[in-house]
Amino acid sequence: MSGKSRRDFLKKSALIGAGVAGFSTTTSKAAPKNILSEDRMGVLVDTTACVGCRNCEWACKDAHGLPAGNLESYEDRKILETKRRPDHTALTVVNEYPHGKNSNLPIDLKVQCMHCDHPACVSACIVGAFSKQENGSVIWDTDMCIGCRYCMAACPFQIPAFEYDKALNPLIMKCDFCFERTKEGKLPACVSICPVEALTYGPRTELIKIARSRIKRNPARYVDHIFGEYEVGGTSWMYLASKDFKELDFPNLGKNPAPGVSESIQHGIFAYFVPPVSLYALLGGIMWITKRRKELEEEGKI
Amino acid sequence: MKKILVLVVALILTVGIEAQQSPGKNHSKLNISCKTCHTCDVPTKDEPCLVACPRENIVTVYQKPEETPELIVIDQLSDRYESVHFSHKIHAQMSVMSGGCENCHHFNTSGPILKCNSCHETSRQRDDVSLPDLKGAYHRQCMDCHREWSHETGCNSCHTLKKNLTDTKRDNDKKKYTGKDHPPILEPAHISYQTNTDKGKLVTFYHDDHTKKFGISCVSCHKQENCTKCHDVNRESNDKLKTVSTKKTFEEQHKNCISCHKEDNCSSCHSSTKLEPFDHAKKTGWALSKYHINLSCAKCHGSKLPYKKVNKNCSSCHQGWNAETFKHSVTGLQLDEIHLELGCEDCHAENNFAKKPGCDGCHEDFNYPKQKPGKVVGK
Ligand code: SF4
Ligand code: SF4
Ligand code: SF4
Repeated sequence: MSGKSRRDFLKKSALIGAGVAGFSTTTSKAAPKNILSEDRMGVLVDTTACVGCRNCEWACKDAHGLPAGNLESYEDRKILETKRRPDHTALTVVNEYPHGKNSNLPIDLKVQCMHCDHPACVSACIVGAFSKQENGSVIWDTDMCIGCRYCMAACPFQIPAFEYDKALNPLIMKCDFCFERTKEGKLPACVSICPVEALTYGPRTELIKIARSRIKRNPARYVDHIFGEYEVGGTSWMYLASKDFKELDFPNLGKNPAPGVSESIQHGIFAYFVPPVSLYALLGGIMWITKRRKELEEEGKI
Repeated sequence: MKKILVLVVALILTVGIEAQQSPGKNHSKLNISCKTCHTCDVPTKDEPCLVACPRENIVTVYQKPEETPELIVIDQLSDRYESVHFSHKIHAQMSVMSGGCENCHHFNTSGPILKCNSCHETSRQRDDVSLPDLKGAYHRQCMDCHREWSHETGCNSCHTLKKNLTDTKRDNDKKKYTGKDHPPILEPAHISYQTNTDKGKLVTFYHDDHTKKFGISCVSCHKQENCTKCHDVNRESNDKLKTVSTKKTFEEQHKNCISCHKEDNCSSCHSSTKLEPFDHAKKTGWALSKYHINLSCAKCHGSKLPYKKVNKNCSSCHQGWNAETFKHSVTGLQLDEIHLELGCEDCHAENNFAKKPGCDGCHEDFNYPKQKPGKVVGK
C-alpha cells in the first residue's frame, strides 16, 4: 500500500481545515486509486442457499486477526434474533429474516462491504486513503486514515465502522475483500469456509450470467432481481434472494453512482439503523467538500 | 417408482468405467426425447451439445428404495471431520413422498447413476463456478431438510471431529443403519379441514378410506411433501396431528381431490357437520357382501378415475355366470334339489338379479322371501 506517512497528512489536513473554515483555499489531496477493471472479481451471495451457520463470520475474524473464539460457539442461533451490523469487531455479520417464496426456512443474509464499482467511500475520503483496486476490492490505507469518518457517512450501505472504544489511534474498519489473501491466490476467507457455497467467488461479469441463469431456471425460488448489478452503479458483491430486497433491509438505491455524501445519508439508511447525531453535524462540512471537489474536478484542478 | 430398470446389472457392467458421463450405447433407442439432454439436432461424441445441469426430470434409472445401497460413506472431502455415514436407503424411503430419486440425483443420464463428483468439482478454486463445488453440493442436499427439522446448523449433527473419533464410534456408525428401514409411516384415520367458505365450513377427509378402501397410493397426493411434516424436533408427539393453516390458492387446495371428484359438487365434501365415512350401501344403495367387501374398487369400477358406474345387476360384472357354473349359495341361499334344476330366468325375470325374484311361474300363492326355494346359509 501507499507509503505516505501520517505527517504528510497533518499538513494536508491543516490545509483542509483552512479550506473548511475559510471557504477559499483549495484542498490538496492525492487523486485516489479508482480502477474499474474489466476482469474485476466479485462474490454472488445466494441467500436462498445460505443456511445461516455463521462460519463466514468466524473465518473473517480469524483471517483478520480479530478475536474469533472457537467455531463451535457460532452454532448458537439465539444471536440471530437481533439484527446486527458489521462493526470493527466483526467485518461481516449474518442476519435472519422470515421465510420467503416457497420455503419454510428463514432467510439468512450475510452483510459486509459491497465493494462498489463507484465507491462513495473512495470519493469521500479527504486524504485519499481509500482505493478501488484492480481485482474489485475497495480497501483503505490505515497509515493514511486520519479517522475523520467521512467514509462512514458517505457509504450508502453504512459499512465502514470506527473503533470507537479505542482511545488512541482509533481506525476505520471494514471488509477488505480479503485483499491480502487474494493477492496470494487464496479465496476470501468467508468464501472458502462456507459449507454450502452460498458465496460464489468469480469474475463479476461471469457471476451476473450465473445469477441470471439461476433465476431463469428456478423462477419460483428467486425474485427477479440481482441486487448490486446496477445499484449505485454496480457493486462487486451481489445478492440473490427469495424476497423483495426491501424486506431484507437493503437500502432502496438508484442506479446512479452515489459518490455524494448527502445522497447516501438521505437514501442509505437501514430501517433499524439510526446514524449518530454527531454525523449530521459533520454533514454540512462534508457536503461542502464534496461540492467543492466536484467544482474543482470540473475546473480540472484536481 | 414402478418403472424399475435393471440397474444392478447396469452397475455391475459399468464398474470400473471412470466418472460415467456416458449414457450407455443404446440410449438413443430409449423412449426419451433427444431434446431432454441435447440442444442440437445431431449430437455427436465430440459435440454432444448437452443441456446445462442440473437437468431435472431426467433420471431414467429408477430403483425401489429397498434395492438401493443401505449406507454410503462420504469421505472424499474429509480433513477436519471424519467421513460421514449416510443412511441412503432410509433417505430413499423417505424420498418416496418428497420428490423421489431426482431430489438428489438431479443430474443424470439414461445410463448408470452418476456420482456427485462427476459434475461437482472438489476444489472451490476453479474456473467454472456455475455449479457449486462438491462440498457445497453435498451440504445443500443435506442441510435444507436437516436444518428445517432440527432448527440448527451445527456441524456435529452429521460430522465427528477426527480428534473425537474412536473405534467404537466408527463401528457404531456403520452398524447403526445395517438392516434398518424407515419405520412405517403413520397414517391419520381422518383429517378435519376448517375452510373459509360460507357454505359447509367443515371438510372431513377420510384418509383411511382413500388409502385402504380405494387403494390410492401415497405418492398420488404426497408428491412433494416437506420433511418437517413428519420430522421436527419441536413436535410433541407423532400421533397428535398439528393444526396448520395454509395460504394455498383455491386451485392448489383442491388439486388433489378434484382429479377424482370431478363430478361432485361442493356439498359432497363441504358440510357444517362432520361427514360420515364412505359407506357403499348408503352411497349407492347396494351393500357390499362379504365377498365384495374384500375387492378393491378398481375390480368392479375400473382403474380409471373417476370410477365408472356399475349397475346392480350381477351380470354387469359376472358375465361368465350361467345356471351351470353359478353356485347359488354365494348369495346366502342354498337352492334345494328341485330348484337347482331350474334356469335363472324362471325366478329372476329377464335375468334382472337386482329385482325381487318371483315364484308365480310355478307357485300360485308363494311369495319370496316368505317362502324360500332352499336353505338360508348366510353370506
Ligand atoms: S458461511 Fe455461508 S452458509 Fe454459513 S452463514 Fe456464511 S454465507 Fe451463510
Ligand atoms: S459499500 Fe460502502 S464502504 Fe463498501 S465500497 Fe461501497 S461505499 Fe465503500
Ligand atoms: S471477504 Fe474477507 S474481509 Fe470481507 S467478509 Fe469475507 S472474509 Fe471478511
